[in-house]
Amino acid sequence: MGAEDFGPHFSKGTSMSDFISANLPYLLAGISVGGQYALIAIGYTMVYGILRLINFAHGDIFTVAAYCMVYMNATLPLYLSLPLTIILTVLLGFSVERIAYKPLRSAPRMSIMISAIGVSYLLQNLMWYITGGLAKQYPTLPFISNPVSIYTATTKMVTLVTPVLTLVLVVALVQLINHTKVGMAMRAVSKDFETSKLMGIKINKVISVTFIIGSFLAAVGSMLYFSNYTAVTPTAGAMPGLKAFVAAVFGGIGSIPGAVIGAFIIGIAENIIKALGLTSFSDAFTFALLIIILIFKPTGLFGEPQQEKV
Amino acid sequence: MKTVKILIALVLAVCAVTVIYFAQSAKDSLPGLLETMDAQQLAAQDDKMLKARDRVTDALEEGDREKTLRNLTRYLDGFSDKLTFSDGVNRELMLFKNYPVLTAGSIFLLAIALALVVYALDKGKKFKKLALPLVLIAALYCGIYIVENITGVNSMLMTVLKKGAIYALIAVSMNLLNGFTGLFSLGQAGFMLIGAYAYAILSIPVENRAQVYQYYAGGLIQFSLPPLLSIVIAGLAAAFFAFLIGLPVLRLKSDYLAIATLGFAEIIRAVFQYEGLGPITNGSNLLRRFTVFSTALYPFAIAGVCIALITLLIHSTYGRAFKAIRDDEVAAEAMGINLFAHKQLAFVISSFFAGVGGALLAMYQTTVQAAAFTSAMTYEILLIVVIGGMGSISGSVIASFLFVAASEWWLRFLDNETMIGSFQVPLLRSGFRMVAFSAVIMAVVLFYRKGIMGDKEFSLARMIGWTRHRKEAHDER
Repeated sequence: MGAEDFGPHFSKGTSMSDFISANLPYLLAGISVGGQYALIAIGYTMVYGILRLINFAHGDIFTVAAYCMVYMNATLPLYLSLPLTIILTVLLGFSVERIAYKPLRSAPRMSIMISAIGVSYLLQNLMWYITGGLAKQYPTLPFISNPVSIYTATTKMVTLVTPVLTLVLVVALVQLINHTKVGMAMRAVSKDFETSKLMGIKINKVISVTFIIGSFLAAVGSMLYFSNYTAVTPTAGAMPGLKAFVAAVFGGIGSIPGAVIGAFIIGIAENIIKALGLTSFSDAFTFALLIIILIFKPTGLFGEPQQEKV
Repeated sequence: MKTVKILIALVLAVCAVTVIYFAQSAKDSLPGLLETMDAQQLAAQDDKMLKARDRVTDALEEGDREKTLRNLTRYLDGFSDKLTFSDGVNRELMLFKNYPVLTAGSIFLLAIALALVVYALDKGKKFKKLALPLVLIAALYCGIYIVENITGVNSMLMTVLKKGAIYALIAVSMNLLNGFTGLFSLGQAGFMLIGAYAYAILSIPVENRAQVYQYYAGGLIQFSLPPLLSIVIAGLAAAFFAFLIGLPVLRLKSDYLAIATLGFAEIIRAVFQYEGLGPITNGSNLLRRFTVFSTALYPFAIAGVCIALITLLIHSTYGRAFKAIRDDEVAAEAMGINLFAHKQLAFVISSFFAGVGGALLAMYQTTVQAAAFTSAMTYEILLIVVIGGMGSISGSVIASFLFVAASEWWLRFLDNETMIGSFQVPLLRSGFRMVAFSAVIMAVVLFYRKGIMGDKEFSLARMIGWTRHRKEAHDER
């Protein structure tokens, strides 16, 4: 619908359509980024639900996925590089858990968190070493990198694909958690770690599956996220990682729908801030939102209140 | 026995004072000395020699001691076959060249004399424990002064020592929170940023402000404060922000606290880069040309005093309350400890010292930019605390020096492509140092969880006891 449909006497409509065409790109970008945050946030929220661990390395696994794509796409055709990237990322997530978190299972929670920070430090330095610290050009993926115009805004296909793909993956994940045996085990472990161990659930297997799912979603998220940006740097994943974590906390950590809704809210809010011309505050805003929600509703929008036991 | 000790102390003190007197009088004797040397060497003078001598005079006028010494040595060595001096001139030259070392050595002697007197007069054996640490601390500071004058202010060793001292202070301040009070806070970089900026903003000399704030018409602040006062204000500014942020945030539990403080640090970073605050913070541009320290003794003195204050705090009733909160919050509350007040206190004090550390870091770097104070900086400091041992002050200090030395110096060779004969050593190239380094850190975190010191402190008595014990065991065998 164009502005001329409203007729000249409907001047408010003209300004309305101006308003929409000025802000639509930001809204679209917000929805798209929100979907990408959601895919990362699920990894955080699932790991937290089961291990009570903030997996600080998750943002870096997300970056590694981007680098895998960069290097693989240089030599292999797309139908090989795409699945290989996902497989490698999943392997990385799995081995990080086995090497860095599993030996600390009985240690205080702070130790595991520090181990996660150590892994993040190691991965960032490793990426810096391999790439020589230079920004790498992210490959143009067919279809999702194609331009598309919606109403008055021109954007990439990825903007439309992301929310749809996110929703499909989330629905599939929720089905997996609610209707399969391993999903049931996951729910049991997150409810009560010790008891489920006594009931014969293979804890290590459940945790590995959690990390595999989280890394898989991070790999998909990384493809979508970096299609919007041209270059990858070793620390490129740190900020989206933190923001996705904020989204997970915002929605109530441990809850998958909460993480998704939180991610969309943060993605859209962040882009509204950008539309208002306060780009340098878009990161700060996310964290301000986090502090506010933690003060007024520490368990987030959908989190379960935790009882303190003496 | 008592009189012997005091006599020895007296002799030592007299020696020390004499040496200090001569060393200090030799400090400014070079201009006169050069003239005496000239008078004695009139016959042998040629153009080259005069030029070399002029270089010494020029450096002297600039007030650059290191350069003066370099040129003087070049002059004396280069024309040694033509130069012959009387004994008086030779002695004066020796004194001039070595006066910092002589002064430092004498101060050390004075410290020993003081310790001996304390030891002799101490009837209740109250100060006996203090005598040895006193001597060791004096030795440390004198040693730093001597090394600085031998290796030069900007040598790698001094760089590592300076940065190590600053990191030690910051690590201990973080340990006060994470190790002693059990608050998992990740906001340290934010408080360092506040400290660094407060210091830089306040201490830029007025005449440099127009140049630093060139995009903001010379900036808003048109006065400058002396460095020490600026450092204290830097700490207070960080403490004030900590007080404000602590009111809501400290009611949160472990991971939520960690992520909230991390977020706070990111907010601070964004705010300080905001263009609207440009007249004060210079926006996202560098702050530079503020007063910096010229000797490593400065950061060592300030960090030393601050760490001593933190140690005293930890051994006070407040410190015991902090540890009680760390070990069991519910039990601590039941014992009548006001949880929130004590957490707030630990948070504010820790941030004060982080702010002071930030100010020192600004001095060390000579420039400040908000963009550098990322969460990665906090992670680095947290890793230092973990390597040293959560809840050990001496551990944090040792780990800081090790961390800085390893990352800046010892592992440098890993960054260079190396050939052994015609064989190129694999993997070695730019960036490998940090990979190896972080792998070592991971190994410590995973397999050596207690860190270097665990929650124990470095103790001389225990070290001596340990060696004696080993010796006895050895003798019995």
